[in-house]
Amino acid sequence: MTARDWLATAVLVAPLVGIAAAAVTPDHLLTRVETAIAVLAAVAAGVMAVVALAQPGERQLGRWLVLDPAGGLLLGVIGVIGLSSALVSSQYLAGRRGSLFRPRWADRVYWATLFAFWVVLLAVPLAGNLGAAWLAIEATTAASALLVGFSGRARALEAGWKYLILTSLGLGVALLGILVLEAAAGGGGIETLTWRSLPHASLDHQTAVVAYVLLLAGLAAKIGWAPVHNWLPDAHSEAPAPVSALLSAALLPAVLLVAWRSEQALAPTIGARTAGGVLVGFGLVSLAVAVPFLWRSQAWKRLLAYSSLEHMGVIALGIGFGGTLALAGVAVHIVGHALAKALGFYAATPLLAHDPRAAGHSVGGVGRTEPKLGASLGISLGALAGLPPSPLFVSEVLIVAGGFQVGRPWAAGAAAILLALGFLGLAHALVDTVIGRPRGRDRHPALGLRAVTTLTAVTVPLLLALTAAALWLPDSGIVHGLVRGLG
Amino acid sequence: MNAVAWAIVALGIGVVVVRRRSIAVGIVTAQAVLLAVAALGKGTSLDSIVAAAALTLRGVVLATLLLLLVRRTRETRPVRAGVAPLARAAAAVALALALIWLMPPIGLDSQAAERATLTLVAIGLVTAATRRATLFQVLGIVLVENGLALAALSLPGTSSLAIEIGVAVDLLLIALVAGVFHERIFAEFGAGDSAVLRSLRDS
Repeated sequence: MTARDWLATAVLVAPLVGIAAAAVTPDHLLTRVETAIAVLAAVAAGVMAVVALAQPGERQLGRWLVLDPAGGLLLGVIGVIGLSSALVSSQYLAGRRGSLFRPRWADRVYWATLFAFWVVLLAVPLAGNLGAAWLAIEATTAASALLVGFSGRARALEAGWKYLILTSLGLGVALLGILVLEAAAGGGGIETLTWRSLPHASLDHQTAVVAYVLLLAGLAAKIGWAPVHNWLPDAHSEAPAPVSALLSAALLPAVLLVAWRSEQALAPTIGARTAGGVLVGFGLVSLAVAVPFLWRSQAWKRLLAYSSLEHMGVIALGIGFGGTLALAGVAVHIVGHALAKALGFYAATPLLAHDPRAAGHSVGGVGRTEPKLGASLGISLGALAGLPPSPLFVSEVLIVAGGFQVGRPWAAGAAAILLALGFLGLAHALVDTVIGRPRGRDRHPALGLRAVTTLTAVTVPLLLALTAAALWLPDSGIVHGLVRGLG
Repeated sequence: MNAVAWAIVALGIGVVVVRRRSIAVGIVTAQAVLLAVAALGKGTSLDSIVAAAALTLRGVVLATLLLLLVRRTRETRPVRAGVAPLARAAAAVALALALIWLMPPIGLDSQAAERATLTLVAIGLVTAATRRATLFQVLGIVLVENGLALAALSLPGTSSLAIEIGVAVDLLLIALVAGVFHERIFAEFGAGDSAVLRSLRDS
């Protein structure tokens, strides 16, 4: 085994230790032990990400393990968001009322399931073949559905059930696409489906197109691309806040990475224009569906969920466009969206304590009644809206410019209009949430605010650093690695 | 192989129209047994034997889990589907015909296997979409996966046993989680009826 193989093993073993620890650790040590293991898991994922991004030219394309710049990027994001979700989980568990599980076991089940979700998430970017990637994605459904319904409330049950059924059926369609691909390649077992083999496979053009469309249509149900996004607002709004962050900031882009790799792998057979066109189509439809909801007065977590739909559409557009500018935008967008969105979801825990109406209604004037919380909400929403100097402003400019660069002016123009409309909707929500008229009179102390304030203090410099890095990125080795892909 | 494939499809149509959950569970278990027979029909290599054993085990574990759920969540009266049985069957046949018409040949061992696979996927999707009972929606997923298992058995050359076993394990995990939800929905609302899950709306 090479050093990278050992490192990949460590990345996957550390969260497994977290699952085991949830079963055997004494109650009074549970949170501390799980937090310590989360730090180790995040360090392993971070080191692996640095290795992949520092040496973008040295890719590893094994049968079961792949490590490339895109995978490194996602490993870093999943590591950071997994760690921060683990850190704020104790706040959520301390304030939870009721659970899907027996009270005595609820905390242990929560930690075990959180680490199970985390480990399969980490496995997605590392999977060396399409079959293993599908297995990891399907496994995320089982673990995360339990977490979505963890509170045991009727609304959470509804959200978890919808998520479980819709995404499982969608992934069934994606698996049909994989089988069509394998049949078209004449069988050959797992080697046929490896990311290194697929670009060179001898496939019938028409069959490959059908397989690609089935695969992307199925994955779309999990990524939350319109028009198969129905589960997304419900699951994001009803899940515990640390889980909502993992769903939006880590799960959606991780599954999107598989769609991206599939596009790169099949482009030699079906043509880069066709492969990218399907992604551009999903991107534009997702943006068009998301924008009206960003203009509506929404409960905080539901607003963030529709923002996820918008941002997954933006990333799909960038991947579909391809080229150095758009892919630099994609890299910045994945990281910037993860940081800003996770902060927004973490802030939901003190927000709900401060104003319980926020669970089902839009909030107003939080900056007036609880300034620190208002600042966290404002920074998250401002960054997600693409308000300069947010890195998402730079990434969206790069992606739109990338569309013009590769000769898709109509799609780029439509995207620019939709992004401007989305910005206006979120900007209105930003003003209303932070400095608008406070609604309701029963404001309470914002429990858990300290952790969110600390995370905000960490997130702001990271977002600014990302904005600065975005200006240098298009000409970097990382982006050239992204353009080169796995071929 | 072709006769087995169409027998699996015929059983699938049964799941679309039957009312009782226990009968439907019996039908998908029979499908799993037939899939195991189909795996053995491919030859007596170690891969075929392991595939048959995995499919049988998956079928038995699923049947045990689902029948246990049926027993623990006795409905006072069957959950009515929103669509009549004949209309459900017609919808499944129509979707199957549309898929067969739309899809080019995909390179499975035989045309019958390709058509049977697409028909089972269509039956599964229609079952999940038109049945209100939560357990039937899970059976819709199982039907789709049975169709995909048939396709995997009909691949030319060798298929990946590791992936096939992984798919079976994933299906069991999904069914287990669905079981947790089904029990809790039953306890909360007094029925395993997805129609009661309609409170989440945009404001």
